[in-house]
Amino acid sequence: MVEVKKRWRAWLRALHRDFGYAAIGFTVIYAVSGIAQNHIEDWGDVSYKATERTFSIPAIADSVPDAVAVKTVADAAGLGVPQSSTRAGDELRLEYGDGVKVTAIGMTVTVQTRTRRAFIGIANWLHTARHKKAWKYLSDAFAVLLLYLAFSGIFMIKGKLGLKWRGTILISAGFAVPVLYVALAGGPDGQRDTDAIAKAAAPRAKSTPPEALTPAPTLTTPPSEATPTIDANPAGSAVLVPLPPDE
Amino acid sequence: MPEKPDLDRYPELAERWNRRNFIKSAAAGTALMALGGAFVRLAADDLTKAARAATRPDGRSKLPPGQRVLEFLRPMGGDAGDGKSETFKLRVHGLVKHPFEVDYDNLLKLPQVEKIADVHCVTGWSMLDGKWKGVQIKKLAEVAEIKPEARFVILEAANGFTANIPLKEAFADNALITYRLNGKPFALDHGAPVRGLIPDLYFWKSSKWLTGVKFVKDDQPGFWETRGYHNHADPWKEERYG
Repeated sequence: MVEVKKRWRAWLRALHRDFGYAAIGFTVIYAVSGIAQNHIEDWGDVSYKATERTFSIPAIADSVPDAVAVKTVADAAGLGVPQSSTRAGDELRLEYGDGVKVTAIGMTVTVQTRTRRAFIGIANWLHTARHKKAWKYLSDAFAVLLLYLAFSGIFMIKGKLGLKWRGTILISAGFAVPVLYVALAGGPDGQRDTDAIAKAAAPRAKSTPPEALTPAPTLTTPPSEATPTIDANPAGSAVLVPLPPDE
Repeated sequence: MPEKPDLDRYPELAERWNRRNFIKSAAAGTALMALGGAFVRLAADDLTKAARAATRPDGRSKLPPGQRVLEFLRPMGGDAGDGKSETFKLRVHGLVKHPFEVDYDNLLKLPQVEKIADVHCVTGWSMLDGKWKGVQIKKLAEVAEIKPEARFVILEAANGFTANIPLKEAFADNALITYRLNGKPFALDHGAPVRGLIPDLYFWKSSKWLTGVKFVKDDQPGFWETRGYHNHADPWKEERYG
């Protein structure tokens, strides 16, 4: 019986060790990207490095042909021929591959670049499993692996360093941290500063009826059933492509 | 503080002594970092203090509760579209008499407005007094001739993202389909070429990489609303989570 117990614990430890090795790659990806996600309010999305610079050029008249206007702006930006360009309103937009975009608005040219950061860009991409097929199931498998590591860890060592003393204390501490946090913070609703909310919204003059009873806001210019004239056309000079009604 | 044992005389204690010291140092370091972070948060900057003291024309506080002021939009991620004005198309559809599609060039030929508006991110930052240029959502409704039974607007974006907005907020004067902030085009991280702007709701409602505006009768909670975030998202009521 003693032999069986010893073998059982030895197997547990051996699997814990090997699964631990296998989990290192996933752990690094999820831990690093998890920290990045935790601090997104402070750091923003660190997956990409974005730059922006602006400078002035002489205004390009509307009468200047598109090709000439594109070359003028591209030369001023120190870039070559763009992959595509759009001239709309007072804007001229040049699109390059690899995340480079140049926009001229009046006399101001803005050059924007965006490149994915090597490790954290991929780690963040992997962290959210949405729109990924096999990765969703691989990350599920990793989660199961983590559960095994957690529960096998409880029984790896017997005696005072195991559940009889140190293990119990540390497991309890591990559960106590989130439980205490929720208790002290008051749970999801406790995070709201009700006094501040009341103060921020207090001066609103009139009470509003419940959402379901609120009539749809009226448009400034009611839709006209009459044949519109050019001046009355709410679409201005825009050309709109009619669509079939939704089913 | 226990006295350090004579580790030369009792070498069997060395491992335990070293581990104890390591745990103590780690705990002290963690506590220090946590306190430092809390201190930085508590010491509000001048912009935030000034905004907290200011009042909007509608009587509400300029800065909703739990927010701090940034001077720029912070990139918050998301499944970006291709960002190209050349391929941009906006579908205006749903409960309208004349559904239509408009490309970038013609979007800029629709009646344009420029509005000063604040935006408030659910993660706690706000950017105030941005100058946004674009087309009012209520103008699109007017052009497409919205049907009277419509009650909500769904802003549709690249890769299937949606956000639901009651008409009350979507028809505000400063609720826009926008392509320019402070005289500059949006970077791809901020929704280029065209994004929504619903200033009186948390900023996730202002869908980036916009592809469509749909008018509907019944509410249709969108991407974040079905993932634990609040369905309405009023920053002054701190409607962050559902």
